[in-house]
Amino acid sequence: MDGYEGLEGEKVLNLSRLNLDNLDLEHVGEERKRDTQQLLLVYNRFIMLPGSICHFSNLVFLDISCNRLAFICEDILRLSKLKTLVAKNNRLDEFSLPKDFGTMSLEVVNFSGNRFEEFPSEFLNLQRLQSLSLGGNRLKTIPAEIEHLTSLELLYLGGNSITSIPPELANLPYLSYLVLCDNRIQSIPPQLAQMRSLRSLSLHNNLLTYLPREILSLFQLQELSLRGNPLVVRFVKDMTYDPPSLLELAGRTVKSRNLPYKPEDLPGNLVRYLDLASKCPNPKCGGVYFDSCVRHIKFVDFCGKYRLPLMHYLCSPECSSPCSSNPQSDADSEDENSVPAHRMQKVLLG
Amino acid sequence: MEQTKVVKPETLNDLIKVLHQIFSSDTVNVEEVQNLMESYESKPQEWKAYAKFDKFRYTRNLVDEGNGKFNLIILCWGEGHGSSIHDHTDSHCFMKLLQGQLKETLFEWPDNKMNGGMTKKSERILHENQCAYINDSIGLHRVENVSHTEPAVSLHLYSPQFDHCNTFDQSTGHRNTVKMTFWSKYGEKIQETTVSKENN
Repeated sequence: MDGYEGLEGEKVLNLSRLNLDNLDLEHVGEERKRDTQQLLLVYNRFIMLPGSICHFSNLVFLDISCNRLAFICEDILRLSKLKTLVAKNNRLDEFSLPKDFGTMSLEVVNFSGNRFEEFPSEFLNLQRLQSLSLGGNRLKTIPAEIEHLTSLELLYLGGNSITSIPPELANLPYLSYLVLCDNRIQSIPPQLAQMRSLRSLSLHNNLLTYLPREILSLFQLQELSLRGNPLVVRFVKDMTYDPPSLLELAGRTVKSRNLPYKPEDLPGNLVRYLDLASKCPNPKCGGVYFDSCVRHIKFVDFCGKYRLPLMHYLCSPECSSPCSSNPQSDADSEDENSVPAHRMQKVLLG
Repeated sequence: MEQTKVVKPETLNDLIKVLHQIFSSDTVNVEEVQNLMESYESKPQEWKAYAKFDKFRYTRNLVDEGNGKFNLIILCWGEGHGSSIHDHTDSHCFMKLLQGQLKETLFEWPDNKMNGGMTKKSERILHENQCAYINDSIGLHRVENVSHTEPAVSLHLYSPQFDHCNTFDQSTGHRNTVKMTFWSKYGEKIQETTVSKENN
């Protein structure tokens, strides 16, 4: 049971690989218990986080990875100075955490390689959390409440079963590293393009067929992985177009001609409907659309290296895409003003 | 005909010493170097000082410059970190796992036709202490740490030394020349702000 000084002079107690299933601290002196800042319990046989752990009152770093942990007891809450908790490769799930776990001052949490099927709600209160890893679990969704983790800089969710990304993720002001590789994501919310802090985005091995064109504004992105996605490589000329409803046509007329109206003039649901108008991305077109839009895949060079299929919404097939792309690209000649109205079929999106 | 010496380097420094001896001649016996590197049993205490990780991408940490004959580099791969598909600028490349596992996917050189992306030849997982070899006549490869829980560390030997290579886009075969940079040299972090534009 030798301790030694860690790299930054921190007092480390290394109890790894000792076949422990309980933490008997009889032979650990009071001073030792008080001084220890890092406790390593990696590769043992713990099924529960041992309650005696709270005797390490000044503990800052705890690694209990590679055990058989199914449950973390309330005693952990008494580790008021704990900043880093690593519990990789255990048997934890969303029912394993004590109720007030969210009151801890944790900055780094790594629960990768466990059995979480849902994002544990207790995590969402960890206001000081900077780094969170839930890689290699069984998550299907990310809750919108993730935006409460306002200090988050690193979010690792690779290797789950996530199918979509909540737009609220874009509200995290300091998120610089986002890993979503090896999931089942089919589309990226355009709000992600607002993330000026994002430096590295990992999306490889998902089910993306296109990206929203807003992604072009992430010019500060330095790492981007997209391999292993069924990105549409060849532009599909044929698109279908569902003709707009009368409601849609009326709404478009009101909006594009700026017909004045007051909330008292219309039933509430129509006022709300008119508020939903989206502008056609073509700058030469002053039009708007509601539900009826034409999807249009546009290939654009990105970071000078890719030909990414980007998704545009146009108010009608006559609108051509405004995106400033490489004029020499051969995809351009295929799509500008070239799709006749009578040949509309649905864009195949993989 | 020279007998291939059977030497098992006990420490990393032993390995480096023997490599200096081997590379003092002008010809490289690939099998000899591969066996030598494989026979060194990785001891983290011996290479910890070079293993500096970056949270965003894998790092290249120079260990030894082999009297100008080779570069010995330690690469640190965080969870999910991977390289683009790349070539080796006409040099020999040996890659030994010091910790964790890496997936190596081999690709054919792209041809002019390019239907449906670059052709995958094979893929395999390299385990701790295994040593792989590649050169441009064998093909191109992508190396990745596919683990979401464990970082990986690998020891690379390149001879002759090179600091540029080509990276390839898997779906189109388009190539880009990239300058390779070091995150640290001899255990000291390099204070540069250049970024390797190795998107994939």
